[in-house]
Amino acid sequence: MEILKFLWVIFYINLFTIGGGFVMIPLLQREIVDHYHWLTNKEFIDSIAVGQLTPGPLTIMNVFIGYKIFGLWGSIGAAMGTYLPSIIIVTVVSHYYVQFRDSWIVNSGFQGIRPAVIGLLAAVAITLGRESIIDIQTALIAAGSFSIIAFTKIDPTFIIIGAGILGALIY
Amino acid sequence: MDTKVTTKDIFLVFLKVGTFAFGGVYSMLAFFERELVHKKRWLSHEDFAEGVVIGQLTPGAPIVNTGIFIGYSLKRLKGALTTVIGQVLPSFIIVLVIAYAYIKFKEIALFKAIFKGTGAAVVGLIASVVYSMGRKILRDYKGILFAVIAFICLSVFKLNPIMLIVLSGIAGLIVFRGEKT
Repeated sequence: MEILKFLWVIFYINLFTIGGGFVMIPLLQREIVDHYHWLTNKEFIDSIAVGQLTPGPLTIMNVFIGYKIFGLWGSIGAAMGTYLPSIIIVTVVSHYYVQFRDSWIVNSGFQGIRPAVIGLLAAVAITLGRESIIDIQTALIAAGSFSIIAFTKIDPTFIIIGAGILGALIY
Repeated sequence: MDTKVTTKDIFLVFLKVGTFAFGGVYSMLAFFERELVHKKRWLSHEDFAEGVVIGQLTPGAPIVNTGIFIGYSLKRLKGALTTVIGQVLPSFIIVLVIAYAYIKFKEIALFKAIFKGTGAAVVGLIASVVYSMGRKILRDYKGILFAVIAFICLSVFKLNPIMLIVLSGIAGLIVFRGEKT
């Protein structure tokens, strides 16, 4: 049962997505593309674009991936696999939140995880960049989107939409 | 706390959040605060701030987790589930429509061209996340070392990123023990 394997992958990736939705990207790339070959890098990049295009959290991209590989049941399963770990853990943590927040284990652990996550994201940006930056035009779009998102307060959603329109005009 | 809040009330507010809150976490948090703290007065500013911290310290999308925290404090498990469904439902439907179109029209030249543009922008987006997180988090040589080691382990040695997150957490326990965040 390939789909059960997929649900399990989504579930445990979300269990380790600590420090924001973007942390999911290196983990998903490893499992969905490199390990199980359910998607190509190109399709994976498109999934990120779709996740960013829609309102709500980026993690909704899992629903796109689920639909792409397994159809409707894949997308429903992906939504459950994505949000079940959150529901379980946050519910437990809410109960003990003061102890949890002040615990040295949580705090020191996070001081290690946060910078490491930046390294992981940088590595995956390079992998995906090799795939989608193929000529001067795409290099310019990437550089433009980087500068606008990094240095202004414009919502990334509009950047992705704008880049789609640019793509349609150029190619 | 207002005990007259119903599951339906919670659902409608989070449906609104899920429909209109685009992109950035901060715009969404501002939206939350305006709706829940100032307009509805379901929780105090302090409780909300706790929810934001919990959302960032737990696995998954921080904004969804903050919602779960709020839902749980209002109506226990039922409230928590309601916030997730409300927040996720609008984008779930939109994603299904896009996914259907994506598979159907994938080979059309216009579609390919659009995704060529968005693909490049996604790389710029991830790079900008690296940049802005880096500026905020990498403040001393220890943090930089953690980032560089993780980068090399993934890009050169192709180690499993889940294992790297676990290991960096454990290393954090040893290196940062006794330090204040």
